[in-house]
Amino acid sequence: MKMLLTGFDLLLALTLLWLAWQLLRSTDIFKAIIFFICFGLLMSLAWVRMHAPDVALAEAAIGTGLTGPLFLAALRRIERKAGKNMMSEPAGNGEETGSRWKARNREMSPLLWTVTALTCCLAGLLIWTVLIIPRPLPGLADQVAGSLAESGVNNPVTAVLLNFRGYDTLLEVMVLLLGAITVWSITHAPFPPRVPDTSPVQKAAVRLLLPLICLIGGYLVWQGAYQTGGAFQGGAVLSAALVLLLISDFLWLPGMRSLPLRLGLTLGPLVFVLLAGFGILVEKTLLRLPVEYAGPLLLFLEAACGLSIGLTLAAFFAGGRPASDLRETPYSGEAKGKGPAES
Amino acid sequence: MAFADSWIVVPVFAPLTAALLAFLVRRASFFISLAAACLSLLAVAVLVNRFLVNGPAAYAVGGWDPPLGICLRTDGPALIMLVLTAVAGVGISLYAKGYFTLRIERPSRVGRPERQERFFWPLWMLQLTGLNGLYLSGDIFNLYVTLEVIGVSAAALAALSGKSASLIAALRYLLVSLLGSMSYLLGVVFVYKTYGVLDLGLLQAAAAPAPGVIAAMALMSVGLLLKTAIFPMHFWLPPAHANALAPVSAILSGLVVKGSFFLLFRLWFDIFSPVLPAAAFNLMGSLGAGAIIWGGVQVLRQQRLKLLIAYSTVSQLGYLVIAFPLAFAGGSSQAWSAVLFMASGHACAKIAMFMSAGTIMLHAGHDRIRDLAGIRAYLPVTAFAYAAAGVNLIGLPPSGGFIAKWMLLITALAGHQWLWAVVLLAGSFLATAYVFRVVAQLFVIPPDKPVITRRRAGLLEWPALIMALLSLLLGLMAPYPLRLLEAGQIVRTAMTMGGGP
Repeated sequence: MKMLLTGFDLLLALTLLWLAWQLLRSTDIFKAIIFFICFGLLMSLAWVRMHAPDVALAEAAIGTGLTGPLFLAALRRIERKAGKNMMSEPAGNGEETGSRWKARNREMSPLLWTVTALTCCLAGLLIWTVLIIPRPLPGLADQVAGSLAESGVNNPVTAVLLNFRGYDTLLEVMVLLLGAITVWSITHAPFPPRVPDTSPVQKAAVRLLLPLICLIGGYLVWQGAYQTGGAFQGGAVLSAALVLLLISDFLWLPGMRSLPLRLGLTLGPLVFVLLAGFGILVEKTLLRLPVEYAGPLLLFLEAACGLSIGLTLAAFFAGGRPASDLRETPYSGEAKGKGPAES
Repeated sequence: MAFADSWIVVPVFAPLTAALLAFLVRRASFFISLAAACLSLLAVAVLVNRFLVNGPAAYAVGGWDPPLGICLRTDGPALIMLVLTAVAGVGISLYAKGYFTLRIERPSRVGRPERQERFFWPLWMLQLTGLNGLYLSGDIFNLYVTLEVIGVSAAALAALSGKSASLIAALRYLLVSLLGSMSYLLGVVFVYKTYGVLDLGLLQAAAAPAPGVIAAMALMSVGLLLKTAIFPMHFWLPPAHANALAPVSAILSGLVVKGSFFLLFRLWFDIFSPVLPAAAFNLMGSLGAGAIIWGGVQVLRQQRLKLLIAYSTVSQLGYLVIAFPLAFAGGSSQAWSAVLFMASGHACAKIAMFMSAGTIMLHAGHDRIRDLAGIRAYLPVTAFAYAAAGVNLIGLPPSGGFIAKWMLLITALAGHQWLWAVVLLAGSFLATAYVFRVVAQLFVIPPDKPVITRRRAGLLEWPALIMALLSLLLGLMAPYPLRLLEAGQIVRTAMTMGGGP
């Protein structure tokens, strides 16, 4: 059994390296994205083998499940733009993938060889350093286990993320929100228009899947207190449901108002900040939770954060701004009288 | 823990809450942000006062003491950077209000300045959160998270102008910044796996030569040097800083690069100094020398005002790094004082310069140095602010730059390190050349001067002047920062004697 597992690990590592190489040398962006998705899936398997199920779940949900579609959506937008600009150019040989837009063909230039060689040297040095660090590796696992009873949850990962190092997580949640603000700040595009004709099969499938996905998302948030799961994983699953809604024309985004969306995006961080303030008022320390209420408070916090994270990730995918926000006209010359009316 | 101890979280949480509210309530976003900036300033004043009475403070977030939890700390260097950030925060907020108001009155594209202003406030408040968090943090992983907040919001701010040049520059900035963060994070992993703790105080007590620690320091340093844009990793800085909106340029050049540098310096001098070989300090010094000379020569070649100021940042950042070998000889306290005078003097001066350049650009419509002759007649306050900030860059008394360069030069001469001394002086000559190249243009009025029609705005001119005067008079205020540093030094020695916190 042990040998079999070792063989499996070896195979996994080699496949990962091969996939990464294929990803890097592929000139077809679409192909590269598919390699990226495969890489992410196998990577999450590797995390499982390294006994890190939480990371595996996050990798599968966010690293692959959401980033892959995000890349595909971005590619479609680029293609649409490039298609408009390069109508005269021949279609090229991208038919087999349906992708006309390609990365520049990269020859292995001397510079690229140098960079590759340097990267290999760096990798060698890193591996050597990892090997010479004396074992057993020190860590804080014992301390975490010792204080787990006071944290309000049974899962050490959740205890570290939300209680012991909740300050880090607050800032991380802010980074996610920052991403959404950034997307909104640089785009002057609205949310994507309605998908013209969605197939009835897709609609039926989404109808069936949606409640299930929401249930799984909610369950992941709930079970974060006991085992693998939590706000990030649950939020990612929720965002998958929203993405499905978006591409199947159920949720008609362009009509969506900006304020409710913004409220949803900031709900998690706001609850976090309120909890931090509550800690100062009641326990005289930032983010300190009373031991007897820690469990319910953390669950509440996780639910709010999960909702916000789901919305944020879906907002990345939608990649535009609510129409009621858009008052920007393309050029000052034709701006007079043609600006979209403020709603 | 007493209630009043919680003042330490205000510089982080005031702007953080303001960012959320400014994103939600757009009509009041300026007032929310200004209130948060003022509240941070007040909190920092309280912290300084408490520091002078009680000495360095440590605040365990969530009541979890290190190594389990995260600790916020104040000490001399952190407080000086906090004061600088808070003062600059109020100044930049006021300037940005004036800047956006003027742009919205006369938009080149309808709706664009409104969008820029709307998103500027939450992003700027998050930037302030990240910077204050970085200066206060006492945890090597929490520092990574603050770096991330700083990096992402800085790239978003740089992209705000919306021109394709600035979008390209901002994307490159984001990628460089993420690469730097990754490198730093990898270093943190090695540190954790070597010592088993993340708290800076515990690491300081535990720091001893170990197999993984050199690799960790190399990774963290390269990442932070990349983020600080130290030669030869400065390639991303000039386009990103020059193409951004004026208040954003001021934030990026004045404050953001100082954050990652502060962390670098802290790691090298406070935490891991016993581990590092002397050769490493000399290597850093040569990077700094390269930055001063190469950056200085590049500045002289620029034709546009904002690019010129951005390249001068590359050159001036060299002084911060050249302090490494000199400070290594001089001891930690002196190193901190020279570097902090340099950093805060440069921050105030650079903020003033970018503010002035933005005002000039708004009024003249361009920033070609050749065609800027006689601006002084229309914007006397702005022209004077630019010149006063230039005095700090050259390093003439009584500016903060003078104090810093004087300290560095004395150390170099006392240690017979002639090469560094020559580089320091050469840098000053280059700075003189590029400051006077612009100042001469601004102040000499040609007979056939162009007419500028836009009205003057007080909010655009006075914050620049105040920042410039701060940098100019920093030398006269020198005893106060030094007192902060010395107070910290005594306690730190006592701490090491007593065997850790």
